[in-house]
Amino acid sequence: MKRAYHLLMHGCGVASALVIGVVVLLVTCDVVARNVGLGSFPWVVEVSEYSLPLATFLAAPWLLYKNEHVRVDILLTVLPVGVARQIDRAADVIGVAVCVVFVWYGIRVIADSMQLGSMIIKTLVFPEWWTFVPVPVCFALLAVEFVRRMLTGSGIVSGQLGSQ
Amino acid sequence: MTWYAASLLLFGCLAVAFATGMPAAFSFFAINIVGAYQYLGGDAGLAQLVRNGVVSITNFSLTPIPFFILMGEVLFHTGVAMKAIDAIERLIRRVPGRLAVVAVVAGTVFSAISGSTIATTAMLGSLMLPEMLRRGYHPNMAMGPIMAIGGVDMLIPPSALTVLLGSLAGISISHLLVGGILPGLVLAAIFVAYIVVRAKANPALAPAFNEEKDQVSGWERWRPLIAYVVPLTLIFAVVIGAMAAGWATPTESAALGAVATVVVAALYRSLKLSSLMKALLGTAAISGVILFIIVGATTFAQILAFSGATNGLVAAVREASFGSWGVLLGMMLILLVLGCFIDQVSMMLLTLPFFMPLVQHYGFEPIWFGVLYLIAMQLGLLTPPFGLLLFTMKSVAPKHITIGQVYRAATPYVIFGLLMLVIVLLFPPLANWLPRVLLEK
Repeated sequence: MKRAYHLLMHGCGVASALVIGVVVLLVTCDVVARNVGLGSFPWVVEVSEYSLPLATFLAAPWLLYKNEHVRVDILLTVLPVGVARQIDRAADVIGVAVCVVFVWYGIRVIADSMQLGSMIIKTLVFPEWWTFVPVPVCFALLAVEFVRRMLTGSGIVSGQLGSQ
Repeated sequence: MTWYAASLLLFGCLAVAFATGMPAAFSFFAINIVGAYQYLGGDAGLAQLVRNGVVSITNFSLTPIPFFILMGEVLFHTGVAMKAIDAIERLIRRVPGRLAVVAVVAGTVFSAISGSTIATTAMLGSLMLPEMLRRGYHPNMAMGPIMAIGGVDMLIPPSALTVLLGSLAGISISHLLVGGILPGLVLAAIFVAYIVVRAKANPALAPAFNEEKDQVSGWERWRPLIAYVVPLTLIFAVVIGAMAAGWATPTESAALGAVATVVVAALYRSLKLSSLMKALLGTAAISGVILFIIVGATTFAQILAFSGATNGLVAAVREASFGSWGVLLGMMLILLVLGCFIDQVSMMLLTLPFFMPLVQHYGFEPIWFGVLYLIAMQLGLLTPPFGLLLFTMKSVAPKHITIGQVYRAATPYVIFGLLMLVIVLLFPPLANWLPRVLLEK
């Protein structure tokens, strides 16, 4: 169970990394092709735009799991451990509440958009609700992670920034 | 509700949320939910919150951010950085505080490849700091220059945060990127001068030493520079050149730069699939953190506008007779204070909605203002308690180094940063001369 969860979270990070890698290649091909006169791929700009929210919403649960989201924990480090733990737990509860709201409204926005049949019509034509799908998925995973932190108290260990 | 009550409420709640140690992005989300319900129309406001979140980062002008970060990560994880440091070390000899000077020079070269201050600081910190401490360098002399030059990375293009500033403030991204070059280089030169003077006055801070590889001369001394440093500066030339010549947008030149970095690593036979994956994961992590905060903070800025807080505050500043210099200094002061407590992305999203109308009203030159903003923000990376690079340094430094030592090491360089801010304030061409020459033909 623990291993499966680790794989799921790590998988989110890998997926986000791969999205970025693919888009780098696409944009490079586009600019090279255009400048050597092979024509351009106007859809590349749009794909790279939509890849940003995709990569971000994929990375968010993995980053929370690794405790890498930027946070100001200066107050927690100067308070007595017991008090700090209480505050941290309260922050986790708020985190879960935030996630529930985003999951619920995310699903509703998708449902509304489907019902209206809204389409995005640029170079690429596709249903608008596709762009909202990562939101409820991301926040559902985040909610699970906040609950896990609450139960294990793992949030109190201050995370380190950077890429190591 | 009056505008000041609204702003007090919104900023007050945000400050409390930040203080609980909740991740910055979630602090914004929590306040946004309440604010959207109150000011954006109840139920419909909350649906709007979700839409805004997606729209805020579906933006072509933000795509250089992960690409610029990838360049630095590739450099770091493939070991190309180590070879470049070694090459620079061979050249710089018989200088007081030699390794600290090497760190600043290497950091300047890396700044021209890496778009992430965190990547540059972590890179130099993990590669050079252990060696410096082993040779008896004082922690201040060892850590200070590394953090300082890491901060300068934000000024020297490519820079992820500069892209974000340009995008959010509506200032030309390519002009801003080029505008940071001169102030960045001048700062690096000031750092070198300071290190040399300090080490000369007190040799115990940075013991001199001789090594076999210092004895090499002639071609052997220069060859590594040509093999390992010149190609890196060529990447920089590609990124800036493609932009200046109008061949590529900032996004496209960032992608070109990222691919060029990978190609260079492959030519050195340093590229392994595992190191490339590490670099991509590091990129996903740093850009994920930045972009997720944007998701939260963009809506916060909109709610501020809807509550009347933005207009109220801007009007109040305009009506008060501070004069244009007073307002400008006030803005810089706000950035410096905010920089002590919150991260750079949140800072931009909180202040720009207020600052940009004032910039227009008083007719400040946008590139000049943008560069001033960057310098002030860069100082926030080094000011305690919440300087991002201080934490980065702490995380890569040996265990016995305390956060207090890290703070002390950064102090002189914060003062130089302030000095730079004053210089650019008084002498705008330092910021906007180069972009004019390079980009406006």
